[in-house]
Amino acid sequence: MTTRARGVAPCSSAPRGTRRRLLWLLAWLVAAPEIAAAQGLPAGPFTALEGTLTVGGEVVATVGAPDNEAFFNYTDYEHNVLRMMRLALSAAWQPLGRVALVAEVRSEDFDGVRPYAAYVRVRPWASIPLDFQAGRIPPVFGAFGRRAYYADNPLIGYPLAYQYLTSLRPDAVPATLDDLLRMRGRGWQPTYPVGSQELTPGVPLVSGFRWDTGVQAHYATRRLELSGAATLGTLSDPRASDNNDGVQVSGRVAVHPVVGLTVGGSAADGAWLADDVQRLLPSPGRRYAQTAFGLDAEYSRSYWLLRTELVWSRFDVPFASTGVVEELDSLGVWIEGRYRVAPRVTVAARLDRLGFSTVERAAIGVSWDAPVTRVEGDVSYHLQRNLTLRLAVQHADRDGGRIRQRTYVSGQLAYWF
Amino acid sequence: MAPAPAARLCLLAGLATLTWVTAVHDSAGVTTGPPGLPHTGTAHSGPSMTATIRGRVELRRQPGDVERRPNPGDLAMPPAHGPTDRRRSVVYLDPAPTAAFEPRDRPRARMDQRNETFVPHVLAIVAGTTVDFPNNDETYHNVFSLSRARRFDLGRYAAGRSKAIRFDTPGIVRVFCDIHAHMSAYILVFAHRYFAVTDDQGGYRLDNVPPGTYTIVAWNETTPLESRSVVVPDGGGDVELDFSLGRR
Repeated sequence: MTTRARGVAPCSSAPRGTRRRLLWLLAWLVAAPEIAAAQGLPAGPFTALEGTLTVGGEVVATVGAPDNEAFFNYTDYEHNVLRMMRLALSAAWQPLGRVALVAEVRSEDFDGVRPYAAYVRVRPWASIPLDFQAGRIPPVFGAFGRRAYYADNPLIGYPLAYQYLTSLRPDAVPATLDDLLRMRGRGWQPTYPVGSQELTPGVPLVSGFRWDTGVQAHYATRRLELSGAATLGTLSDPRASDNNDGVQVSGRVAVHPVVGLTVGGSAADGAWLADDVQRLLPSPGRRYAQTAFGLDAEYSRSYWLLRTELVWSRFDVPFASTGVVEELDSLGVWIEGRYRVAPRVTVAARLDRLGFSTVERAAIGVSWDAPVTRVEGDVSYHLQRNLTLRLAVQHADRDGGRIRQRTYVSGQLAYWF
Repeated sequence: MAPAPAARLCLLAGLATLTWVTAVHDSAGVTTGPPGLPHTGTAHSGPSMTATIRGRVELRRQPGDVERRPNPGDLAMPPAHGPTDRRRSVVYLDPAPTAAFEPRDRPRARMDQRNETFVPHVLAIVAGTTVDFPNNDETYHNVFSLSRARRFDLGRYAAGRSKAIRFDTPGIVRVFCDIHAHMSAYILVFAHRYFAVTDDQGGYRLDNVPPGTYTIVAWNETTPLESRSVVVPDGGGDVELDFSLGRR
């Protein structure tokens, strides 16, 4: 079961009560540097139960112009990444040396509280670096999905492959190719004649806002990491409960040839279309998969941090009227860098591209969704080690849809402990 | 846990006073404090024996270790890191006798990075000291501080390498690693040499203190400051003074 809101039109702005709370919180955050200067803000996690329980948190207030026309930065939870109030609390309880319970809850724009992570971690043998995790677990695929949003994301926006909403839905399918192409650039709210008629967003290639449920194993040495997982959902639609009797299998290999360099390769394959819509198709019982491959690399040295990641994804999409299954491919690739200019100041930039394979329409090749290019840059000022002010500019360009270009300016105040 | 803001400001004021004192001490060998503040450091003039001030600093509540932030994105048990020794306190005179300000040759100190921990966790140095930060781990580390007394960032550097930085301004410098959020340390920079970091049992010792009346201060990162008045007699000898820090 997903917890995202269904049947609700995309919210262009927060309700009045929420806005007031947001203003209060922003006021508090503006005052925070003064408090921080006197070391009034906690600088580390809270601990209890003789150090076995640690609780950390993150408060991130982002302000910017609304994005309720172009929807370049909307998430699968229908929030705008560049205009969001995010609260997160994470906890790890390690009652025994080799057993830990880990959880994180989040609230975005005060829109309820939802579990982001909740799993048990076991290391059966003290001398073997092999760990098992079960529950709502972090993804093994790629690199970005496991990073803490504020502390590990040098920019305010997310990479396109992890956030941008494509026009595909797991609960509704097009009857014809025209139905699909009509939704190009409308991933914030695609509608199809077959399946659910609720107004919900499409799926990104990989959800950066939800984790999947299942089991995973991880083995690591100084130079090598191997990870594998079996989960209920897929990269694009992680789930707390199954909707199609399909299991996704994913894995990642990462090597650390020298200190500061990590290179990883990932793969995933899982059934992504819900049973409810499959029953409406001419050939029910067939498996409709999302298959993905990823490559990622990170290198850091001195004042530099450089990252790049590539996600290739293929969705099996049936057309209800003909029974034909189209393989729709997407490729997301980005490169980002961060440089510390001074102890308090860092600058960062990301160049990001999301492209889609072509389908034949009247003998002319057309991509099944509108390709997007995005450039973002920001400057961060560290008021305190764990309190940062950011100013970012983002430009997005889409080859389709009603609005094709937008430039966004956003500011962010983030605090973690 | 960080000390209370009032205590921290008090310590900063003390250290600032010391800085000022270095600039205004008179030729008669008696320090004079800045205008508007009481002059507590009155060293007697003329020939006299020096004393040793010694004692123990007891923490009423033993501080816990600094734990790692929970990171739900981890795929494995995070590696154990070394213990952060937060029991260490620093005892110092405030202000100090003139002799304390005699220049010394380029002092050098060292703060290691081992098992994702800064060792020692508390370092007390005299202004002008250069501190080496060798990386003795298998992973990258970074050393930085945003403290007013010394703002710096040594960047990320690998195992086996060391970087150094000089501390010229008295004050408290909080040191961090931007890769490992649980790594932190304190460097207390003094304008004089009458200070000591407590040992494993909480003991401290300030040698060669000239006769006079002083304020002696005990600092620990987890508690408010505590200061006392101490009189070193003309005949020198030992002066015993214990502290008990933290809430009763």
